[in-house]
Amino acid sequence: MSEAPASGNVDGYYLRAENITKIYSDGTVAVRDVTMELHSSEIVGLLGENGAGKTTLTKILSGLLPPTKGRVISPRGRIRFTSPREALDFGIGMVHQHFALVGTFTAAENVALSHEHPFARIRLARARERLETLMEESGLHVPLDVPIEKLAVGEQQRVEILKVLSRDVDLLILDEPTSVLTPLEVDELFVLLRRLRDAGKSIILITHKLKEVQSVTDRIVVLRHGELVGDVVTVEATTEHLAKLMVGDVLEQEAGAVELSNEEFPVCRDRHAVDRTTDSVLHVESLSSRGNTGEVAVDDVSFDVYGGEIFGIAGVEGNGQSELVECLTGLRMPFEGTATIKGTNILGKDPRQIYRLGVAHIPEDRWELGLVLPFTLAENAILGVHRWEEFRGPLGFLRWGKINHHVRSLMDRFEIRATGPNAPAKSLSGGNQQKLIVGRELAKDPSIIVASQPTRGLDIGAAKYIRDLLVEMRGAGRAILLVSADLDEVLALSDRVAIMYEGEFMTVCPPENLNRERVGLLMGGVTEKEPVS
Amino acid sequence: MTESQETTSRLLRGVHRTLTGLHPAFESVLAAIVGLLMGALVMWLWGYDPIVAYKSMLLGAFANKWGLADSGAIAAPLVLTALTFSICLRAGMFNIGAEGQLIMGGLATVSVGFFALPPGLHHIVALTFAMIAGGLWSIGPALLKLTRGVHEVISTIMFNWIAHFLSIFLIGTLLINSLSADQTIAVPASAIFSKLVRGTDLTYAIFVAIAFALIVYFVLWHTAIGYEVRAAGLNPSAARYGGIRTKRTMFLAFLLGGLSAGLGATMILMGSSSTHAMYRLHGQLRNIGFDGMAVAMVGRNHPIGILFSAMFFGGLSAGGRLMQLSSSPVPVQMVRLVMGVIVFTMAVPELAKIFPSIKEQTVTLGQGLKRLVTSSRGRRST
Repeated sequence: MSEAPASGNVDGYYLRAENITKIYSDGTVAVRDVTMELHSSEIVGLLGENGAGKTTLTKILSGLLPPTKGRVISPRGRIRFTSPREALDFGIGMVHQHFALVGTFTAAENVALSHEHPFARIRLARARERLETLMEESGLHVPLDVPIEKLAVGEQQRVEILKVLSRDVDLLILDEPTSVLTPLEVDELFVLLRRLRDAGKSIILITHKLKEVQSVTDRIVVLRHGELVGDVVTVEATTEHLAKLMVGDVLEQEAGAVELSNEEFPVCRDRHAVDRTTDSVLHVESLSSRGNTGEVAVDDVSFDVYGGEIFGIAGVEGNGQSELVECLTGLRMPFEGTATIKGTNILGKDPRQIYRLGVAHIPEDRWELGLVLPFTLAENAILGVHRWEEFRGPLGFLRWGKINHHVRSLMDRFEIRATGPNAPAKSLSGGNQQKLIVGRELAKDPSIIVASQPTRGLDIGAAKYIRDLLVEMRGAGRAILLVSADLDEVLALSDRVAIMYEGEFMTVCPPENLNRERVGLLMGGVTEKEPVS
Repeated sequence: MTESQETTSRLLRGVHRTLTGLHPAFESVLAAIVGLLMGALVMWLWGYDPIVAYKSMLLGAFANKWGLADSGAIAAPLVLTALTFSICLRAGMFNIGAEGQLIMGGLATVSVGFFALPPGLHHIVALTFAMIAGGLWSIGPALLKLTRGVHEVISTIMFNWIAHFLSIFLIGTLLINSLSADQTIAVPASAIFSKLVRGTDLTYAIFVAIAFALIVYFVLWHTAIGYEVRAAGLNPSAARYGGIRTKRTMFLAFLLGGLSAGLGATMILMGSSSTHAMYRLHGQLRNIGFDGMAVAMVGRNHPIGILFSAMFFGGLSAGGRLMQLSSSPVPVQMVRLVMGVIVFTMAVPELAKIFPSIKEQTVTLGQGLKRLVTSSRGRRST
């Protein structure tokens, strides 16, 4: 579905991507046969879920990543760069989610630094002069003589934009620029973007927020699973339409969640069996917590998880799911609210105490949190339970005999393929590493399993295996809190689903009550109460 | 897999399990060989005969029981300061404070000369004093790191200097030997280890070093605490996830390291030293803390590996003395050159990790050139 581009100069284009396909070396198809054009004086919104290929596509557009197939051309010829510096020289600048600024340098110094070649003398006065003119022109003001680390995040972002603008770019790419900003700063940013567009710049705004993309862009390009599924003029697009494009087409939506339970997803349907009259296993009330940068990441969240049910949390990543899980597993201290497991408070307890209460935690990052990679299978299999009596004898000596026996039984039960208990964890495949973590956690005989992105990056076989296990655990009466960015997974497995957006639950309901359009809207921050154009 | 292969592999795995972390021993041997070869090259350039020199060195160090005994005597304190470094490295920290902790241990050791106790008990008291002093001296940098975030490299260097000057002060005042003003009171005979091999420097003290290395091995690989220390060292986030209090493991590692370094001083003052006293600039103790780091590296930061590598370094030093007396009299400083090259070579495996990226870039470059050539050829033909 391709509508006419909104820009005034239809005849000329700034950049043109033709039949772009990108296949990474591990076989992942990140972008599939995408053709699109960019014009000057235009703000293009690039909309899509996690892993839809937004970042890959922009990297290809800016010439930083060579496409596997297809080409990027400009009126000046084909584009292929080897470094961001070359791209900047050509006129393409990108503002990343994580700023590339030296914290102890001032804005002027940072900009001067980006201008000069590595061995050139830094001409600070000239950079200052240029910045001041630029600030006048763009109306974008930042304190020039304060170290970057002393500035607010919004100001840092403005410095980053100024830095790129000072290189006279024609195409400005912003990767999720609003995720770190306050609402007021977002408004200011949009004013700036419009002004830059009117000055003739071409702008790509990568985002998953529907309201924002509708308020500021001229044209919206929607990606799903690497494919371009929509290229629409913003004023002609409805929010529902965009939401549908983002999460799946109309046919899939009408089929409903139940039909998703094909062979990839285990059938888990007997929701009436869940007894919610008894006490819940996990009870969370008005929980609020800050994220790593001090922003409120979890905002007044309340819910209960009962034995024998899977409570799913869906949403675009970075909307507070990780912080919520960390609060519940002793890795983060919320500033407000209560959380209890079978009536016992868990806030302020460390992970060891929380595991003792019957919590299993399958962490979202298996390399960073779940495993000590250089450790052996056996050593990893006791992480978190190494002080339990079965593994620790008198004087604190570890019972390696028992541990190795335990590992062998884990390997049998969870089909972990490895040479033996003494194989280093890093020698295992991703699927086997995850099975090791899942096996270790389930062997704790937990009453609640907190599973965060349990199947991310796994092949279909391993993913199905782990989903089956979760359903099996549900059948055995365990409570399961499933957090996943894989919408299909959450909808297929969960008895109840919460959609999380900017730290809040937009809704909590059985997946039957959701259709994909509504899920798309909620994930994009649009509640049903609000009127949509 | 045939049955014999099965048995062999099981055996190998068993060996591997016992000596976890020791398998890159080959790399250490290789580094030692490279170090010796570089030494030979320098000797040859300066007109010495490396074969004669090395022969006298190796024969002097390892060929007979007297050579072995002297090598062992030098190795004993190195084992303990190497352990200091290794324990902390396993816990994820770079503790270079063994030098200062060793000096403090030395001061505590000689202070047992103030009172008389029966032999045996006096030994135990002296060893305990040394360990406590070394341990206390390590607590400073540990607390600075854990409470104020001061990097341990900075603080341990500073604590080394504080120990250095504090010792000069104490040696000249409180601990001064009234008969000989340049040294401290001596460790009394009731607290001195007797000779293991007569006519050499080797005493029963070496068993203390070996025992301590074995204890460290069992603590690190066979107890829950040691497991926590290693987990926190390799992946602090995963350790936290696993309910491990990383601040505690860091503190414990520092403390254990301090005990070890403190004990290092007793190897000399209660053992190999002829006067059993400290001198104003503590010459006998100097550099043992730093040399321990080289020993630790070559020993792959494994207690058992350290025993062997300390013996190797001890042999270099003991044999180096004899090298000067050979028909090709190479100065003893050559030993330090060889040690330097070995440490440098040990760092190479890390450097080698850069090679894949270099290889990748070369391949990319080659492909680019090839494309250029084929495209120009294609253009010519059309």
